Amino acid sequence: MLNQILALAWKDLKIFFKDPGAVALIFLQPFMFIVVMSYALGGLFEPGGGQIQLLAVNQDRGPHAAAILRQLDEMDAFQVETTWEGQPLTRGMAEKLIVEGKQNLALVFPPDFSEVLEQDPAAPERRTTKILVIVDPATSSQFVEPILGTLQGLIERRTYTVMIPRRLDYLFERLAPQTPVEQRETFKAQAQEAMSGGLLGGREPVVTVERTTPAGMQVEKNPDTFQQNVPGYTIYGIFWIVSLLAGSVLEEKREGTFRRLLVAPMNRAVMLAGKLLPYYIINLIQLVIMLGASSLLFGVSLGHSPAGLVAVSLVAAAAATGLGVLVSALTRTEAQVGGLTVLLLLTMSALGGCFVPRFIMPDWLKTMGLITPHAWALDAYQDLLVRGYGLREVLPKVGALAAFAAAFFGIGVWRFRFE
Amino acid sequence: MPNCMIEVNGLVKKYGDRVTVNGVSFCVQDGEIFCLLGPNGAGKTTTISILATLLPPDEGQATIGGYDLVRETNLIKPLIGFVPQELALYPTLSAWDNLAFFGRIYGLRGMALKERITAALGLVGLRDRAGDVVRTFSGGMKRRLNIAAGLIHQPRILFLDEPTVGVDPQSRNFIFEHIERLKAEGMTILYTTHYMEEAERLCDRVAIMDEGRILALDTPRGLVGLLGGGVIHVGVAAEAIEDLLPAIRTLPHVRAASAQDCRLKVETGAARPALLELIELCNARDVPILSLEVLEPNLESVFLHLTGKHLRD
Repeated sequence: MLNQILALAWKDLKIFFKDPGAVALIFLQPFMFIVVMSYALGGLFEPGGGQIQLLAVNQDRGPHAAAILRQLDEMDAFQVETTWEGQPLTRGMAEKLIVEGKQNLALVFPPDFSEVLEQDPAAPERRTTKILVIVDPATSSQFVEPILGTLQGLIERRTYTVMIPRRLDYLFERLAPQTPVEQRETFKAQAQEAMSGGLLGGREPVVTVERTTPAGMQVEKNPDTFQQNVPGYTIYGIFWIVSLLAGSVLEEKREGTFRRLLVAPMNRAVMLAGKLLPYYIINLIQLVIMLGASSLLFGVSLGHSPAGLVAVSLVAAAAATGLGVLVSALTRTEAQVGGLTVLLLLTMSALGGCFVPRFIMPDWLKTMGLITPHAWALDAYQDLLVRGYGLREVLPKVGALAAFAAAFFGIGVWRFRFE
Repeated sequence: MPNCMIEVNGLVKKYGDRVTVNGVSFCVQDGEIFCLLGPNGAGKTTTISILATLLPPDEGQATIGGYDLVRETNLIKPLIGFVPQELALYPTLSAWDNLAFFGRIYGLRGMALKERITAALGLVGLRDRAGDVVRTFSGGMKRRLNIAAGLIHQPRILFLDEPTVGVDPQSRNFIFEHIERLKAEGMTILYTTHYMEEAERLCDRVAIMDEGRILALDTPRGLVGLLGGGVIHVGVAAEAIEDLLPAIRTLPHVRAASAQDCRLKVETGAARPALLELIELCNARDVPILSLEVLEPNLESVFLHLTGKHLRD
């Protein structure tokens, strides 16, 4: 019996490795996704990497817009461009670049920006002005909003720097005109520093912000795009085994080889086991190659728990192979295999968070994602690779994946037809 | 029945209301090539599929090698080889790899497996193409390899389901020679075909099937003998048929005559003199002959005689 299973498995492995299309689908496709998407989205995760280019049109007659733009440019995330091809940037040029799709956002500081900041607090009418942010409507608000927030913060800081001393001078004149100049300057300096949170003087700020992770996670470094993408696209990749397995079963039925095997002294359970084993093995090879290559080539951390990694990989591969059995049982033609596979895999991958992180999805979609093995597998891999958890923490997810595998196998075998 | 390797009694298979095998009974003796001859849809493949343990019968009994088809399937399987109508091979593997796979499924290992593969490839004349991928083979070569795969475990009984469909005449002759060699080695073969030449050349006995039933069963010579010297179809005007029939029945070389589809169907022991007598009679009665067809005595004409249809209809 074991020899028959091994003979069946060896035959299918030989057929698989002789088919360049199948090898590319299983090994190359998800790997290319990882590489392309990681480089494309590099700026989202890597500090200092993938800077956002900001066009800035500075019409300000005073010094303050230039000061704000300098501060923006000093930040890791931004690269401020006030000239374009050697020419000082104008609003017209900026709009043309956005219309042509070369840029998607530009800041325009008005001519009276510094004058408004420096206006006399005693003036009967308060002057206001506006900084324009010209945005391509196709640009995601997730991209625009952080830029606006940063800009708003810098403007407020600049306002403190410029307006507080003037306001205090005005108040001294009105309330305590006899105060000596030295005392006024000391008070102004202390008030200014206190109101700006210590950010403006030479001393360390009293409040700082530090990025950290929840207790229990052992994260060596903040994840880069590869670290974020490898689990997602690995899960996406292993489920493509469904297409190969269902296609192979269909071919055996069409070519009549199943009929020939059914005449042989071999029971149907052995036949099915021999048919599934090679695809399970291919899935495991795929996982080893994807994770191994990502670690070697891109420095992706594989976490601290080899046991956890093995456990998750074994059940994730079982769920993928199980889904293959189910699709084999439900399809009768190549068109059905192709259609159902693409529909299921793309929908499940999207719902499961392989393409878009689930945390940005609405709650109902997040809940729907839990009906896919992808979501559980992805969460388990992220626990191990990104969050630094161990086997104990991922056991519930391993259990969920085992349940998916059992359900897929159970229904698939029940509905399976050999002819 | 004496020494039946395959014994079938009242076999029935239904698909819904459609009865594809309807009370089929026969015995295939040890070392015999037994042929099921009939057009497509006659029930041949369903019958052979039931006997090869692929389909359960709805009614009737059968034994293969003395074992009950339903209760002792596990004992039957090692005894039988099956060559399906389809080219049941893995096209991206080599001929050797295909046979090695099927051999392993039957428990062959090591040197025994290698020897069997070499022998099977030699038997079908493909030893020099052993390492070539099956996809590159001609249709005839694939058919031969298809047969070799059914022989890899040296079965005592071989089921061949239309093994020459789509094969060129040269490869067909090659396949016939292999089958004759297998018979000489004592293998029992159940063979289905809709080519009467194959049945006449290869088979010891032939069962003519149509619409799920066996219409006649005998040696090819015995079946052909049903027609004696042949059958002559004479087309005349409809109003002349009743007038001619009594006279035709009195002709010396005519065995029987009847009206069939506005024609006269004349069975004879000797076609040539009977034909002359018929022409003379029609001339004498001044009845114009509108058409004339002489069916030489062969299985095709026997089938036509039995069913009113051609084998390839």
